[in-house]
Amino acid sequence: MDSELLKGTLALLILSLLSRKAMYGYEIAATVHRDTDGAFTWREGSLYPNLHKMEADGLIVGEWEEKETGRKRRYYHITKKGREALREKVQSWTELCRAVNRILEKSDGQA
Amino acid sequence: MDKLERYLDQVCRSIGGPRSLRQHIRQELREHLRDAAAEHRAAGMSEEEALDRALGDFGGPEQVRAELEATHGHRLLPVVIDKAMQWREKTMKAKWLWMSWAHVVLTMVIGLEVLFLTFANVFLVPRFQRLTHDGMIDSGALRETDVHWMPSFLQGLRLTGGYTTWLLLGAAAMWGLFEWRVHSENKSFMRLSALGTAAVGLMVAVALTAASLTLPFLIAMPAFARISAPIATEQMASIDTSVSAIERAIPNKDWEAMQENANRASRAADNLARVAFAIPAATARPARLTADELRARLDAANESLRDARQAIQAKDAGRLEAALREFRQSYGPVLEAAKKPEK
Repeated sequence: MDSELLKGTLALLILSLLSRKAMYGYEIAATVHRDTDGAFTWREGSLYPNLHKMEADGLIVGEWEEKETGRKRRYYHITKKGREALREKVQSWTELCRAVNRILEKSDGQA
Repeated sequence: MDKLERYLDQVCRSIGGPRSLRQHIRQELREHLRDAAAEHRAAGMSEEEALDRALGDFGGPEQVRAELEATHGHRLLPVVIDKAMQWREKTMKAKWLWMSWAHVVLTMVIGLEVLFLTFANVFLVPRFQRLTHDGMIDSGALRETDVHWMPSFLQGLRLTGGYTTWLLLGAAAMWGLFEWRVHSENKSFMRLSALGTAAVGLMVAVALTAASLTLPFLIAMPAFARISAPIATEQMASIDTSVSAIERAIPNKDWEAMQENANRASRAADNLARVAFAIPAATARPARLTADELRARLDAANESLRDARQAIQAKDAGRLEAALREFRQSYGPVLEAAKKPEK
């Protein structure tokens, strides 16, 4: 899938995943990969700048947790502001999809 | 895991903000990459392959760093250091740059050496030879030393200098032939070796020329003192005669004769001060006066003579006798020094 399309929707995906439960970076990347059957091909490194920006904007909050194995992971939780932003983004996405689909349906068979 | 840490260094070192933030980011990325590598290992990859794959999926360090810097800002110093390191790596690989620099430097060295030899040949060697011919440099003293061949070397240099045009033409022809006929892959190195050899050869010639101009000069330096010794003796005799004449003229109050002799004594004292190094005791050890000390005594003596001249002009016999006493006091050690020649 076009990575440019993914860039625009990455914040939506992250907020959506974090609305299910708190996750750490690798878990988010692995979940996206698993749930989309690897449809999104992206550089995993670009996940963190997005996470940090969203945290700076107050949409999510990160907390370090130490596991029994001794490894520390930074879990991200969605905030109230993040949930509101998620609702708006879902709505925008739905409208966008509907509009795009309408165009595609009318053009069906002409590609 | 060194590879992983090097990667994290590249990504995190220039991220702006406090040190703790960089440490947290580094820790977070490290955990991600370790998780990813562990998963690839579980899928059957070797440890190295798994890490390479994890790093590949994560993205190039420059890209990740740029994105993190866009979020957190960047630190100036690491950026400057990185640029410097990049420049250094690029420069070190620039073979043409080093080769050109070596050629330029060697050519400059050769040019400077030729310039020195030309200058020595045109200005210094003829003067040196004239001094030797006039006896200012004692060629006899040189014959007994290990540097007796140096004047001959300078003569040879002058003779060679007469063929400078032909030598330069020959060198240019050889260079032209080399550039025209030689097509080896090592041509640059061969040219560099030839320039280096020429530079070393000319350096030997420069060193020999400089040594030939200075060592004989220093060794033959006592000749100056020998040449100047009679002048010093003559001036001292003149002072003695003039001062004695003044003393003889005092009872007769022959002021004119006294004035004439005082002027003569003063001139002689001036001249003696100039060749003070030739007064034997100036070079005699152990209880010696240095040339500077002798000059100081002579200056004081001259000052007394000046007082004497003023006393003569004023026709003041008492003041004149006092000035002459002071003169003898200052001039006495000079006379003593002259009586103790070096053994």
